Amino acid sequence: MDRRFEEVEHTADIAIRVQGRDLAELFANAAYGMANQIADVDAAGSPTIEREIALEAYDAETLLVTWLGELLYLSERDGCIFTGFRMREVTPTRLRAVVRGGPVSGYRQSIKAVTFNDLEIVSTDRGYETTIVFDV
Amino acid sequence: MVQKSDFQRVDKYIWELPKSVRDDMRVPARLFGDAELFDAAFRDRTVEQLANTATLPGIVKYALAMPDFHQGYGLPIGGVAAMRTDTGVISPGGVGYDINCGVRLLGAHLEREEVAPYLRDLTAALYRECPSGVGEGGRVRVSERELDELVTQGARWALKRGQARQEDVAHTEEQGRLAGADPSQVSARAKERGRAQVGSLGAGNHFLEIDVVEEIYDPDVAATFGLWENQVVVQIHCGSRGFGHQVCDDYVRSLQPAVRKYNLELPDRELVCAPVDSPEGRAYYGAMACAVNYAFVNRQVLAMGVRQAFEQVLAGQVKDFDLFQVYDVAHNIAKFEEHEVDGQRMKLCVHRKGATRSVGPGYAGLPADYQGVGQPVLVPGSMGTASYVLVGTQKALELSFGSTCHGAGRVMSRHAALKKVQGSELKRELEEQGIVVRAGSNKGLAEEAPAAYKDVSRVVEVVHGAGLARKVARLRPVAVIKG
Repeated sequence: MDRRFEEVEHTADIAIRVQGRDLAELFANAAYGMANQIADVDAAGSPTIEREIALEAYDAETLLVTWLGELLYLSERDGCIFTGFRMREVTPTRLRAVVRGGPVSGYRQSIKAVTFNDLEIVSTDRGYETTIVFDV
Repeated sequence: MVQKSDFQRVDKYIWELPKSVRDDMRVPARLFGDAELFDAAFRDRTVEQLANTATLPGIVKYALAMPDFHQGYGLPIGGVAAMRTDTGVISPGGVGYDINCGVRLLGAHLEREEVAPYLRDLTAALYRECPSGVGEGGRVRVSERELDELVTQGARWALKRGQARQEDVAHTEEQGRLAGADPSQVSARAKERGRAQVGSLGAGNHFLEIDVVEEIYDPDVAATFGLWENQVVVQIHCGSRGFGHQVCDDYVRSLQPAVRKYNLELPDRELVCAPVDSPEGRAYYGAMACAVNYAFVNRQVLAMGVRQAFEQVLAGQVKDFDLFQVYDVAHNIAKFEEHEVDGQRMKLCVHRKGATRSVGPGYAGLPADYQGVGQPVLVPGSMGTASYVLVGTQKALELSFGSTCHGAGRVMSRHAALKKVQGSELKRELEEQGIVVRAGSNKGLAEEAPAAYKDVSRVVEVVHGAGLARKVARLRPVAVIKG
């Protein structure tokens, strides 16, 4: 089992719990977990697509939703999923990263959006943890 | 944590949670259901989300959950909340991401036996003419300027483009155009996503279905709607695609600072909102109305695709292959409506999230031919099971701001459904029941397995019994198309 994320039961939508030693790892793991919901990451083509991402947001939770929403949009537009994340800078309100992805062969499901449902990034003794609900 | 014992049964089908149960509730909450459905509300977070809804500023009378309720995000699915327009709020999370997800029902002039020999060809033609699946483009591509007109004019744009008939427009909630749409409040990204997807079904629980009218409960109303036993009809279930998802996403994020600005205390960040009467609230409404209109046009363009498929396969084979529109309803929407609160008529901002408008005879805005009976309410069941046509009631205006259920309502997570059901096996079972199935993926099929949903008939018995709508006809599927 992949330790970067864990699926959580939800009646209608899907949810994942992610952890990270720091915000950068938390954000990268969340993105990987989301990619895994969209398609089988192991079956994705070699990562030939590279995108630079720079975002600012109101707070850490809004930044997380903005980050995942950005990847979702790029995935839909370019028909790919992103599986490699070089996090250059992640503060609670600013993010810079280079992401790499490849074409998708067979979608698992369509994620409509990343929600704020009970979203809270909490500090743990090992870093940070959060649970994200996706509307599908 | 709210307990079952906190609720009082105020009627056979109404369970009330007094506002004294939580310090932050402004009004009581009400669940509609029989004893079994009521029990089901405690198996996920429906009750907590409903109680959260009751905390929203300006909410009047009750926070309501229709009997197809289940856990959502922010509001529960099946949730209805009406807010004052002077002191109340409007919430993008209270409408949901798929703005104006809804259902359209088309009626044929054909009986089951006339269509049966062509069912496979018809299903294939529908699959071809009505694009479905993840990331699929739509039947129509529009320029950015044209999109602005489309989302402002709604069904009138379709009429002008030869994508609608006058009677289609008349037989659509709000005549297919919600007033107040303001494309300048819609992001460039939403427009970009929207331009390529007009006339596409999408994936998830969206579907296109050929049904047969199996039973008529109210012959007079059924005749008014143009429905008769053994008739072939078509249901289209979809929404505003990437355009609406992006509008909701944009505003759930951009309204976060408004919560602090207007000193709003929210138990769930997904309930993010702004005063109805504020620049932020008006901006969201203007953008949401654009997405509402986009979805009306989307279903309209798909309806033309359905007509084309019927013509391709049935022309020369049957005497009349044409399809007329029974009605089109929204089930994720916020609208300004007048309702009576404490004996006073009041303009309210009614949020319906997984709930359908249900209004009785004489309601302003209903087409002339339905004025005498009330509005058709379309309730699709889960895949392979029955769907219902109901008619709106005066009583729904008193009980639920003129709202009723929107479907069966999930009880099982997609994950659990996948563990329990094999897509290929389900397809075989459906085919054994005489239902032709075309699906983008077996996994998608399994996630929508009937076992993952409540029994739609049970839900409909509750709304009928409670008076939220009355039964008119039951439909049985003969062909299903899924993204």
